[in-house]
Amino acid sequence: MPTIGSVRANPYPWPYDGTVQVSRTALICIDWQTDFCGPGGYVDAMGYDIELTRAGLPATAKLLQHVRDLGMLVIHTREGHDPDLSDLPANKRWRSARIGAEIGGPGPCGRILIKGEPGWEIVPEVAPVPGEVIIDKPGKGAFYATNLDLVLRTHGITHLILTGITTDVCVHTTMREANDRGYECLILSDCTGATDPGNHAAALHMVTMQGGVFGCVATSDDVIAATGA
Amino acid sequence: MPTVAADPGPFTFDLDSTALIVIDMQRDFLLPGGFGESLGNDVAQLRRTIAPLAALLAAWRAAGLPVIHTREGHLPDLSDCPPAKLKRGSMIGQPGTFGKILIRGEYGHDIVDELQPLPGEPVVDKPGKGAFYATNLDELLRETKTLIVTGVTTEVCVHTTVREANDRGYECLVLSDCVGSYFPEFQSVGLRMIAAQGGIFGWVSESSALLKEITR
Repeated sequence: MPTIGSVRANPYPWPYDGTVQVSRTALICIDWQTDFCGPGGYVDAMGYDIELTRAGLPATAKLLQHVRDLGMLVIHTREGHDPDLSDLPANKRWRSARIGAEIGGPGPCGRILIKGEPGWEIVPEVAPVPGEVIIDKPGKGAFYATNLDLVLRTHGITHLILTGITTDVCVHTTMREANDRGYECLILSDCTGATDPGNHAAALHMVTMQGGVFGCVATSDDVIAATGA
Repeated sequence: MPTVAADPGPFTFDLDSTALIVIDMQRDFLLPGGFGESLGNDVAQLRRTIAPLAALLAAWRAAGLPVIHTREGHLPDLSDCPPAKLKRGSMIGQPGTFGKILIRGEYGHDIVDELQPLPGEPVVDKPGKGAFYATNLDELLRETKTLIVTGVTTEVCVHTTVREANDRGYECLVLSDCVGSYFPEFQSVGLRMIAAQGGIFGWVSESSALLKEITR
């Protein structure tokens, strides 16, 4: 059975318990959706530089291929809401409208952040393959109001490797939720990104404080290099 | 309804459905000579929140509004401390200046004298950084729509709790002078992240703005 570890990481060689079997590890790909990082998605249409949110795509695609070959569990998440908006908190809708991207309103790729719309789909570079788990979430965190914890426990997963966007919002919220639940987390600096590069850097730095308050930071090459038989 | 100036915009709320949450103002984190300082942290960065928070608490209580306190900590047998947390924080459960570090019932685990809960005020004991995970906080907030968020530390327990609250549909107003981080860099970026993108996690203001509204 292949193992991972120790990964060269900051602030300690990951994971805390030396090495971990691939069968106890999952790769989480967070919200690689067209609306957030695809050409013509709403982040693009709002005038943000999507190269910042797309920056982690090539490294994530390469890592995905690597872990699929190893047989690791891959989980994708999508942020989105039901077409009738019954799972959309009123304040979230109000705030999105205020910045000109009202959830449920018409966007460049269908209704913004609505399940089933083209903009809500995962971009082709890191699209799920049949058999991979997809978690649809109404919030920033992938644990709240989803079955992610159940899926991970059912598969015997104890260690998580995190990729996705954006670093400071959905990736960080999910990492914090996972950390409180006892999962040993590794976030990959080259497989994440944010609309604000300063927030990307600060979010990664926060992880490493106080001996790794939320886990560790590494790169995808560090993970690939630490994979053994 | 009261409105306070805030970032990214004016924040309006109903006092009948608003609670003040005071996060982890514990001796282990705040007292000189305690656990936080023993890790090399400057506790003065956290202690500057005590005076404005005490003033806010007094006014809040005088107005008859609800307060909830939280404490991070674990059972004496550490059965609620995940191995990954214990390994990284190997001082948890060890003897410290103020008793066993971050263990329920110890002197250091309790809240500083200036901000001690009054009888009847709920105290939520949490094993993690977030105050919603593995606690009854959501149940306690059945009548609540808005949270006034204070406590420590800004980028760890305050941020995690605000993120959890935001996903659950609560509106959060974070008071910059009543939250603190050991690291000034994270204090500023932590507050900036909350108000970014139109207030992606909530609003940021100061206690003076809120005090004016509740003492009217």
